[in-house]
Amino acid sequence: MDEAASQLEREHVHSVYERIAPYFNDSRYKAWPKVKQFLLEQEPGSIVADVGCGNGKYLHINENIFKLGCDACRPLVDSAWSQGHEVQLCDGLRLPYRDGCFDAVLSIAVIHHMSTKERRIRAIQEMARTLRVGGRIMIYVWAMEQKRRKFEKQDIFIPWNPNPPIHGRGDGTQSVSDDADSSDKHRKVKSTSSVVDEGELASPSQQKQQRLWFFSRSLDSVLDFGSLTVSRSTSGTFQTPADEAAESRSLRASGRGLIRQVSNLFSSSSRTSLEEDVFISDPHDQVHKTDNSSASNEDETLRVELVQDCSSVPLPDLVSYQKEQSSNEKHGEVGSTANGQHSMQRQESTGSLGDTGGVKEWNDGQMKDSCLRYYHVFREGELTQLIENHVDELHVLQTYLDHANWCVVAEKIQVWKV
Amino acid sequence: MKLLTHNMLTSHVKGVTKGYPLNIKATEVKVSEVDFNPQFVTRMIPKLEWGPLIQAAEVLGHSQDLPSTLIPNYENDEDFLRKVHRILLEVEVIEGSLQCPESGREFPISKGVPNMLLNEDE
Repeated sequence: MDEAASQLEREHVHSVYERIAPYFNDSRYKAWPKVKQFLLEQEPGSIVADVGCGNGKYLHINENIFKLGCDACRPLVDSAWSQGHEVQLCDGLRLPYRDGCFDAVLSIAVIHHMSTKERRIRAIQEMARTLRVGGRIMIYVWAMEQKRRKFEKQDIFIPWNPNPPIHGRGDGTQSVSDDADSSDKHRKVKSTSSVVDEGELASPSQQKQQRLWFFSRSLDSVLDFGSLTVSRSTSGTFQTPADEAAESRSLRASGRGLIRQVSNLFSSSSRTSLEEDVFISDPHDQVHKTDNSSASNEDETLRVELVQDCSSVPLPDLVSYQKEQSSNEKHGEVGSTANGQHSMQRQESTGSLGDTGGVKEWNDGQMKDSCLRYYHVFREGELTQLIENHVDELHVLQTYLDHANWCVVAEKIQVWKV
Repeated sequence: MKLLTHNMLTSHVKGVTKGYPLNIKATEVKVSEVDFNPQFVTRMIPKLEWGPLIQAAEVLGHSQDLPSTLIPNYENDEDFLRKVHRILLEVEVIEGSLQCPESGREFPISKGVPNMLLNEDE
């Protein structure tokens, strides 16, 4: 189970961040004021760790304290280093720091990328271990309950949008999620499998009401494991070659089904894309779609055209992925790699980009697959409960909702073991 | 990697109990100028493992005759504080590695960044 979790995170967290690292634009990801305040409140001479520091956007705050950052993503860490910060490459589940050496620890938008409850707990325990008694930790995670959109499930994939609009919804057009939220055509999820009604998908007029996100299955549920859409074949080394080929075909086909659904969503509505676009999908639905693969080519061409017509749609990655897939199908390619790996092989090296000195231009040809990031979004109280029930050495001081994040501040306490 | 950072780092290889401090092997060291803040240094000292700090400074050739045990009343000794400031913040290992004292496992330092990622089986 842990191996599956590692695998999922490798494909849908670590490798995605590695690919999008050069395109990170700091103005899009502002420092949360309350995090800044937390840092400014630390006593001069404090040692503070930012675990999951990314490109180091919090590391410049408060020059009277010593900050170090760590992250598992090399390009982001290198970027932070070039800004003059002390950073290390490491894994949040196994921190390379001695016990009790930090006065404060930050975990901002990190543990929601961990795919099982057990790993999320371990991450918090590791950070608690490195805190000195009396030291404080601040944890931010994405909230399930959000104003602009509604996540119906906690375990989801969210594509990374390279070109979010600068003027959000001020231009008068409504974002799709706004439509969805306000309309009563909100589709009810009948079971945990989040079945999408095919009839609704087909009709363009109803596409505005589509909710947009990929559902993943929680790895915590043993029953659900088998229906994850990603990387099953990589862990199946005991499969016969024939099985592997068949499975990879069905995985690729299901990937196409996924793309087809997504492209459907953008054919007619003029929409303003959100900073984070989220796409709806259903694992079960894709299995049905494999039956229609022969009829799909024509449909796909149509979809691609529709998507291209929509000038407001910033989905260069998905469109080119779709084209790639249909051309591979024509060549009768039978590979034994999963979707994610297949795309990674075609990925152009980011080193080939000209250096624009700051933010790099997002090139259509650059990304051949969708950069889907895995998130476990948290319900109200979930993070607090996790700490209270599983991390004895942390005592929760505050809990609040900050924009779309649940935040907890906790203090390390001395635990007496008899 | 600054020596202040090194003072916090430990080997976390599975099964290792004496992974601290990591032995430094440096192939490229850089010394730069960082603003001296005596209050910062004074407050930092109690948080450090002093022995490992001096050892590390010696390995890099910057021990500056600092004592191997802390002398009392260092807060008022500016000369002392400046030397400590130097080894904590101004001396950096750019290329080299950190070796676990128990298992021998080496963690590379490249472009100033230590890679503490472990393999699945470690």
